[in-house]
Amino acid sequence: MSTIFEQENLKTDLLTINMGPQHPATHGVLRVEIKTDSEIVAEATPYLGYLHRCMEKHCEHLDYRGVIPFTDRMDYLAAMNMEWGYALTVEKMLGTEVPERAQYIRTIVCELQRVASHLMFFGTYAIDLGAFSPFLYAFQDREFILRIFEEISGARLLYNYIWLGGVWNDISDSQLKRIEGFLGELEENINKYHTLVGENKIFIGRTANIGVVSKEMAYDYGATGPVLRASGVDWDLRKKQPYGIYDKFDFDVIVGEGLKGQVGDCWDRYYVRMLEMHESIKILRQCLDGIEEGPIMGKVSKIVKVPKGEIYLKTECPRGELGYHLISDGGKTPYRVKVKSSCFTHVSMLPELAPGQMIADFVATIGSIDIVLGEVDR
Amino acid sequence: MHNELANYINSQVSDANAVANIAEVGDSSISVSSSKIFDVCKVLKDGEYEYNVLEVITGCDYLEENKIEVSYIIASFTKNTELILKTALDRGGDLKVDSVVSLWSSANFLERETFDMLGVQFEGHPDHRRILCPEDWEGFPLRKDYVPAESYRDMTINPVHKMNIGEREFGAKHAHIKGASTSVKNYAVDAQDENEELNN
Repeated sequence: MSTIFEQENLKTDLLTINMGPQHPATHGVLRVEIKTDSEIVAEATPYLGYLHRCMEKHCEHLDYRGVIPFTDRMDYLAAMNMEWGYALTVEKMLGTEVPERAQYIRTIVCELQRVASHLMFFGTYAIDLGAFSPFLYAFQDREFILRIFEEISGARLLYNYIWLGGVWNDISDSQLKRIEGFLGELEENINKYHTLVGENKIFIGRTANIGVVSKEMAYDYGATGPVLRASGVDWDLRKKQPYGIYDKFDFDVIVGEGLKGQVGDCWDRYYVRMLEMHESIKILRQCLDGIEEGPIMGKVSKIVKVPKGEIYLKTECPRGELGYHLISDGGKTPYRVKVKSSCFTHVSMLPELAPGQMIADFVATIGSIDIVLGEVDR
Repeated sequence: MHNELANYINSQVSDANAVANIAEVGDSSISVSSSKIFDVCKVLKDGEYEYNVLEVITGCDYLEENKIEVSYIIASFTKNTELILKTALDRGGDLKVDSVVSLWSSANFLERETFDMLGVQFEGHPDHRRILCPEDWEGFPLRKDYVPAESYRDMTINPVHKMNIGEREFGAKHAHIKGASTSVKNYAVDAQDENEELNN
């Protein structure tokens, strides 16, 4: 028996749809041009640049301290980590010693920021998959972290808090106590959220075995951070190339095991982030035990002049590795700053992941690699 | 390590001219000739050093030396090593290097970005287009002699009525008063401050 298409001599054709740039599922201004065969994606091409500000060009006209606010605006959900990476790069070139207390404060704010960023992922990912209430739960906890940041730095999202040589404002004992109290609450909440969402049958059905990134593919595309670890690679810069004071802390590297499906699927990427929050809590507890009184600012000359040379330094950010390639000609402004953004390389995986997926699964895949377009476009 | 690696590259690839630039401050690098970049990358990826991840392709424009330097930052996630591989292109020439997309897929977007920002052509790239700027953008923003565009299609970039001129004039007017405006104090770089720094 022939189908209706054959009887009528009809032809099928691929339909081109623009997903974005204003589409809630793309987490910002990403446009993906998809060619669909009914509900199946045949081809996907990402178009970037809607948030491009050419931050690297701006840096060439600013002095070394003036670059820090610009780094905030790349990944606005993890601004502290962006600042720390830049500060470390310049400090390494200058040979500046950062006081112990400043190191601890930096670790505390960056780990809190990592938790806040992963909570944001948790909330928005649930929205992508059609559940609205987890978003509200996640924002309750995130709100506490943002309040603390507001108290110590004066801003909720873009802080300019970590300066060359240290941090600009001290953190008080009462604030540390409040963070300690919050950690216990957070730990319970994360477990609760995971039982609510991660173990939900519908959620598993939507994410397990979807958007599988194999180990080879992750290496091929230069994936880093949770995406690489979910693919079963034991790689965390905080362990492999410790920066700051991470060598003092005891924590585990979370690696995806494919508990609900294959290794490297969307559920693994979700679960790695959930467990990473527990590791952050571990680090934070050790920080709160170890922090002592002391200065918060090292010696940095009034006018920063970095010696001639170049450096590439990478740090572990919530979304992956952030690298700064800094070239100096010995002047007061950087000669060239190149920012290696993890999200940029993750977006380049989409054309390979998309073919054969349903449109709704493609949305789940985009959500699971957790991109921030501010960092992609810079 | 860099000297050893340069010898290794020279022994594997003829005419690679690998030279190790040992730096006292910051990171050392290896420069190779631009025509052999694909072969060198292949040797480094498949050979005993196992550089399996391409992290960054970037470029830097040196106007005075009349060259554009393209840097490949590659890493081995199995051996925990990292290398900056460089090649210099003549600025007046045709600025072409071989694409390495067939070795690492991550090169696809990174090469497009380098083309977009510096105008370096990557031969053999499957999808050689601009990536961050619009298709019909003129000029390459990260070159040192780039003049910022004043208009794009029918739009004016930074129209006068939207610029905050009052603040700039205020800053310029009070720049000589020490501590008058914090923003001026932090960013004004004058000879007096520099002398103070030297005395300290």
